[in-house]
Amino acid sequence: MAQYVAQRLLQAIIAIFGVLTIVFVVMHLSGDPTLLLVPQDASAEMIAQLRSQLGFDRPIGVQYLDYLGGLAHLDFGDSIVQRVPALDIVLSRLPYTIQLAAGALVVAIGFGIPAGVLMATNRGGIIARILSAVVVTGQSVPTFLSGILLIFVFGVTLRWLPTSGSGDFASMIMPSIALGALSMSTFARMTRISIIDELGKDYVRAGRARGLSLSQVVARHVLRNASIPVITIAALEIGNLLAGAVIIETVFAWPGIGQLAIQSIQSRDFLVVQVIVLLISFVYVLTSVLADLVYVIVDPRIRLVR
Amino acid sequence: MSADPIPLLSVENLTIEIGGASVVDDVSFHVAPGRVMALVGESGCGKSLTSYAILGLLPDAAKRTGGRIRLHDLDLSALSEREFRKARGKDISIIFQEPSASLDPLTTVGSQIADAYRTHNKVSRAEAYDKARQMLADVGIPDPDRRLHQYPFELSGGMCQRIMISIALICSPRVLVADEPTTALDVTIQAQILDLMKKLVSERGTAIVLITHDMGVVADIADDVAVMYAGRVAEIAGVHSLFAKPCHPYTALLLASVPTLDDAPKSDLATIEGRVPTPDEFGEGCRFASRCPLVTDKCRIEQPPLFDCGDGHRSACWHIDRMPELMEAAA
Ligand SMILES: Nc1ncnc2c1ncn2[C@@H]1O[C@H](COP(=O)(O)OP(=O)(O)OP(=O)(O)O)[C@@H](O)[C@H]1O
Ligand SMILES: [Mg+2]
Repeated sequence: MAQYVAQRLLQAIIAIFGVLTIVFVVMHLSGDPTLLLVPQDASAEMIAQLRSQLGFDRPIGVQYLDYLGGLAHLDFGDSIVQRVPALDIVLSRLPYTIQLAAGALVVAIGFGIPAGVLMATNRGGIIARILSAVVVTGQSVPTFLSGILLIFVFGVTLRWLPTSGSGDFASMIMPSIALGALSMSTFARMTRISIIDELGKDYVRAGRARGLSLSQVVARHVLRNASIPVITIAALEIGNLLAGAVIIETVFAWPGIGQLAIQSIQSRDFLVVQVIVLLISFVYVLTSVLADLVYVIVDPRIRLVR
Repeated sequence: MSADPIPLLSVENLTIEIGGASVVDDVSFHVAPGRVMALVGESGCGKSLTSYAILGLLPDAAKRTGGRIRLHDLDLSALSEREFRKARGKDISIIFQEPSASLDPLTTVGSQIADAYRTHNKVSRAEAYDKARQMLADVGIPDPDRRLHQYPFELSGGMCQRIMISIALICSPRVLVADEPTTALDVTIQAQILDLMKKLVSERGTAIVLITHDMGVVADIADDVAVMYAGRVAEIAGVHSLFAKPCHPYTALLLASVPTLDDAPKSDLATIEGRVPTPDEFGEGCRFASRCPLVTDKCRIEQPPLFDCGDGHRSACWHIDRMPELMEAAA
């Protein structure tokens, strides 16, 4: 077990390191922010001076090592634009994104999993058909479009919900749905397939042979067995929700890290972008480790063999 | 066959279709309390489907299109799912062919055995576990306390088989359907399980339907035998009568192909030429016609009904009178 954890940890560090390097290189190759920071009529001399002051005139390898050196001391650098620690800026926006992602996760799991169960157990029924229409819609409408559609229908036309802003429950509803819709479809499909797969197994017939009803077998045995692939999806989806937040926060003017990421990329605020990327990769890694821990709880074959 | 006592389980003209083909066709047999009916026949002849039908648990693809199943005077095939459920595991139990796959991999075996008991008896968890422990001892599992808390993947195939037997027997069913219950077991355990079944039969008067490939097991424990071929009963008889005087060419060949200690498999009759027709190849005639040494034109055109050949011994063959000819060739 300890060896397994160590192995996972090593994998995680390598993965985060890789992502970080790629983003660093891409950001630097696409130009530095000096030009955006100086007045329009600045002389070439002024620009060069600022560039060397910010350290962008050094070879990229040197800049990279310098950055890593800072990270080793948990120094994520300062925002070039706002001149305060990049980490502080990101952390101040993070609660909004967590709030939004949590709302989206509630939509995705709270609707997706029961829908999957119903679709699997009422195959061919009217409920299953309605749900599968909802699921197909959720998975085929692009996130930005569903966001805009929701704003148009419920915000502009019906005026039921606020179209932007953050804070209260009402303002969370539309962005949560828009962000969660795709995940909801994924959860519903995975749950459905997984349950149908389990229902065909011999232990289901054996359960009924000892006098259980099909729904008792589903509740006592099938759901648990079917949950294993769904847990894998859940881990990935949490990361995907954070990534999807970049678009949704922009559509709904939601002041989270997604919106911050877009703004920082536009102003070439490298260090802020790097912190956001680090954070999202960290969440991917963390959720996949969490998923492994959940497997250990659910599946004795993993718990007792490892 | 010797069906003198009132049957406890009656399978009457059971027909099961899959995709339009009758994979089980007009199968009838009766089992009285305290008797063992063996179902034998080649792989795919419909033994397991028959057993599922008895429990009302046919797979979605299969439909019972004719016949009925009776438990004493209760018509099981007319019961609603809810009513049938009360009988399953309590009056009538089954041991499935695939023991390891028939257990939920994520639940301890103890919980699954106790659950079977609690489904039909209002007892506490602790009482149900006591009962489960008792059952494990009965089926010869050493150290039952430890086994109760293990998961199926921690147990061998033979051990899982005995867990399934415990589940099937824990409510003392009146009828037990056992699909190859001893195949996964080594000889000692096999003998132990057969002894357990004999005890059930003699002490509790359980009626057993035993599905097997093993003619040795049939000779050891069965009272009656139904030989199935391609979904139909070819021959049905008391076990002694069947072994002494098979009245269907298929049975004769089947018995001849069983190697015995004193003689090596005999001549060219030892293996049956050709193969079993697939369901879509079933025609109007006898389903064994393509492989039968006694075949005539009539066999290819018309399906033989079961003819009585004395003492309740019945055979579905147009040429029962020519059987001595076949037996001589085999000798
Ligand atoms: N779920 C199913 N879907 C389609 N065909 C099936 C299904 N179950 C059984 N069959 C077919 O029905 C026929 C009878 O199968 P069955 O399992 O009853 O045979 P069996 O006599 O038990 O064989 P074995 O000795 O191998 O266990 C076979 O032709 C099989 O292919
Ligand atoms: Mg079978």
